[in-house]
Amino acid sequence: MAVKVLILEDNPVARSFLCRVVRESFSDTIAITEAGDLETARAQISIAGGASGMHGVDPFKLIMVDLELPDGNGMELLAELTQYPATKIVTTLYSDDDHLFPALQCGADGYLLKEDRFEVLVEELQKIVRGQPPLSPAIARRLLTHFRHGGRLSGDRPAPDSGFNSSQDFATTSAPVPIGKVPDHERLTPRESEVLTYLSKGFTIKEIASLMGIKWFTVNDHIKSIYKKLNVSSRAEAAVLATKQGLV
Amino acid sequence: MAVRPPRPADGAASDSRLDSGWLDAADGPRKRKRPHLPIDHARSLLLLGLLGAAVVVLWLRLLAGTPHLPLSWHLTADGGITLAASSDPELQPVIGHRLQALVLADGQRIDASAALLPRSPRWIVDDAERQQQQALRSRIGEAVQQPQVMLQFDRGWQLALAPRPRSLVGLGALCWAVCALALALYLAGAVVVLAQPGLPAVLYGVLALSQCLNLLLIGAESLPGMGLPAALVQGDLALRLLADATAGAALVQVLLWYPQRLAGARWRTTLAWGLTVVALVWLLAMRPAGLWWWAQGLGIAYGLTAAALLRQRRDQPVNPLARLLQRLVLAGVGTLVLLNLAIAAAGRNGTVQYQVATIGSVIWVVFFASLLMLGPFLSRSKQVLREFMLLAGVATVVTSLDLLFLAILSLHPLVSLALAVGLSLAVYALARPWIQGQLAGSGALSAERMFDSLYRAARELEQSPGQAGRQLSALLCEVFDPLEAAPTGRPVSRVRVATDGATMVVPIPRLPGTEPGAIVLRYARRGRRLFTQQDRALCEQLLEQLRRAVAYDRAVEHGRTEERTRIAQDLHDDIGARLLTLMYKAPNAEIEEYIRHTLQDLKTLTRGLAASNHRLSHAAAEWKADITQRLNAAGCDLHWSFSADRDLTLTVVQWSALTRVLRELVNNILTHAQATQVEIVLQFDRHHLTLNVSDDGSGRAPETWSHGLGLGGVRKRVKLLGGQVRWVERESRGIRCEVQAALPSDTV
Repeated sequence: MAVKVLILEDNPVARSFLCRVVRESFSDTIAITEAGDLETARAQISIAGGASGMHGVDPFKLIMVDLELPDGNGMELLAELTQYPATKIVTTLYSDDDHLFPALQCGADGYLLKEDRFEVLVEELQKIVRGQPPLSPAIARRLLTHFRHGGRLSGDRPAPDSGFNSSQDFATTSAPVPIGKVPDHERLTPRESEVLTYLSKGFTIKEIASLMGIKWFTVNDHIKSIYKKLNVSSRAEAAVLATKQGLV
Repeated sequence: MAVRPPRPADGAASDSRLDSGWLDAADGPRKRKRPHLPIDHARSLLLLGLLGAAVVVLWLRLLAGTPHLPLSWHLTADGGITLAASSDPELQPVIGHRLQALVLADGQRIDASAALLPRSPRWIVDDAERQQQQALRSRIGEAVQQPQVMLQFDRGWQLALAPRPRSLVGLGALCWAVCALALALYLAGAVVVLAQPGLPAVLYGVLALSQCLNLLLIGAESLPGMGLPAALVQGDLALRLLADATAGAALVQVLLWYPQRLAGARWRTTLAWGLTVVALVWLLAMRPAGLWWWAQGLGIAYGLTAAALLRQRRDQPVNPLARLLQRLVLAGVGTLVLLNLAIAAAGRNGTVQYQVATIGSVIWVVFFASLLMLGPFLSRSKQVLREFMLLAGVATVVTSLDLLFLAILSLHPLVSLALAVGLSLAVYALARPWIQGQLAGSGALSAERMFDSLYRAARELEQSPGQAGRQLSALLCEVFDPLEAAPTGRPVSRVRVATDGATMVVPIPRLPGTEPGAIVLRYARRGRRLFTQQDRALCEQLLEQLRRAVAYDRAVEHGRTEERTRIAQDLHDDIGARLLTLMYKAPNAEIEEYIRHTLQDLKTLTRGLAASNHRLSHAAAEWKADITQRLNAAGCDLHWSFSADRDLTLTVVQWSALTRVLRELVNNILTHAQATQVEIVLQFDRHHLTLNVSDDGSGRAPETWSHGLGLGGVRKRVKLLGGQVRWVERESRGIRCEVQAALPSDTV
């Protein structure tokens, strides 16, 4: 059976380029559904079993979402698809944390930068699907800040200096844990903090592994776990917000 | 030993003491008054006020109930008296006639003389004259108790007149005015005693009360018509002497204890009061010859002692209050001396001396009372009150001078008056800056400089709100030039003048990033001036202007950032999407790579526009991650090392220049060198940045390279940074590119 892939991208040239990337990346038979705007994408998803993807219909296994779309932002769709059992990837031209971080909070499993070379994109895509999402130093910094504040300041724009104190930046290897009861899903383990701190300083996964004396895939597991915690924490945050506002 | 105010230089230990002390002083009256004022103080003040009013009303009623003869007299040059006016119609024909004698109902005859005129025995120079006058007026006081008094005028005119009580209306305007002033002085004393309980306040109260007594006596003296209670006439001298002596001793004592306690205050106080009591007893019991001279000498001695005490205080840390008080005391003493001179000089001329003594003494007491009223409110007083005090002083001087000229030079009255007024105006012009200089607004700083300072302070405040305290302090120092300006952590809500104008507490404006707190200024204009309410208002305005300027700057900066972000967004969205499409459609790899490069440059540009600053450490991390990825994709290893002696914030120009230089160099290696190892060393040491990029590729003889877009771009960027770049061959193989630049920037 063909693996179903949804590509949401308004630029037709880019869309076909991404199609090529996807086909190149996987050996399976691929059935690609293309969408140029959010509306089409939503329609396609509801045909394939709705936003929860739980109706026994064959759901998409991979969803690639562009952020800037004619009828809205790709993050809206990501937010709707938090329960959807697919690998969700943000494809964008924006490489800065300001744009990417909210997307990751919305449940994206990784991101691809569209200007990268074909081979690079293929490799990155394969890594994401294998569970090795990328994490740039800037995003690592944002994540550290996010979890340092118990995940509660994520909605705010970051302070101009990313809320990073230079002394901590240079000296500490583990993030201070906030005092008081913070739910587990809003807190990083010391190991995860360490990994994030190294990442924020530009170390590669291999370097981190050797620095911490662990296997590279263990580092990778930490990164995956951080991704998940970010997603869960932001969802929990959203739920709390919704309760407060009487929406639930 | 007197308590010296702690100075900031004493160190941290004294700082806290100093802060809390000053702030307590600043908050003191307010804090203590506010919660209690409605219950305690207001009620006490009301009670005291009612008591004072009751005393004054009783006094007035007593005076109004005394029988009198409704006659006012005119003193002729030869010492006789003529009838000047009367409210009795029967007496109209004799107006202008000279009085020969008064014949009482029991047949006693009182010969008319100048001594019949109302006049305080306290201000009569000649002892015999004083005694005669006292005796005569006592008799008149008894006479008006009888049903009828016969008046004998010249040319045989004889009239019988029945004494009748004065009504309240008949007390005369001067009496009312003087009594009102007495009440006001009394209330000022009550306010001071209630607001700042303590020895100085009590002494001030004593001072005020003594002058109230003087004023009430003057009120009685100024009544129109003839006839005062005999007891009052007899007691007048004693009461006035008592009032003056008490005032003098209290003044000396208050200056021993205030503004700061002087060494030996206790025994000096005892000495002062002891001498006062001895002098008073001696004057009243012994009635020595030249009583007036003794009394006046005593008054001047008190004044000089007070001035000397204030002089002594000036050796301590400069206290503008002491300076100002000293000037006021000296002005008072000077005026008194002048008045005494006038009275003494007029001694030979009966008419003139009568006028000098009556008018001069009244004005002197009014002047002294107004000085007293001003005293405790120096820093809080309104301009009007100060001017009134000065004018009262000048009026005394005018009168004294006028009469002095009349007496000594025998000038025409008009000439004398004109001369006196002219001289007094000169004195006023000289005295005003001498005294007011301590209180005047900040005249020294020109408006232009003030504007300049304000503008600069606003700029600096905007740029580094964390330093707000320091900057505000610098601005205030420029405006007020205080001896000391110390920050304190205790927040205050508004500007306050405390400790009688020696201290002003200014809150630090609240901005995001500033610490709450205040600045305590002590001793304006290097201790030569007091802080006044005008200063407070000026300071409030300064703060307001500062707030506005900063808000405006922020709005401008915000708008600028927004605009930059919008431009970046547009560039990125529109041009970026087009370049992306172009890149995908590129006919060959070379053009694709070229367009990718352009796209990355565009991204660098837009990021530089959108983000206002970049930490060097953050930027280095991103460079490393980016370069690692690119080199790895090309199968090339990166050896990266980064060290910095401190972190710094890169400006947009620095960040984007370094980003592009690095990208271009790596790009160059990837495109031309076929290297397998790349080493990048980035060092930042003492504001100096060194970047070495080495490869083990096939490149040789860099001096022969053509500098196209790529290397030309590197050169341009490095030049933009104000640095140098050179390429050298490595010994083994490959090329090393060395970039050096100084990065003078704010360290984080």
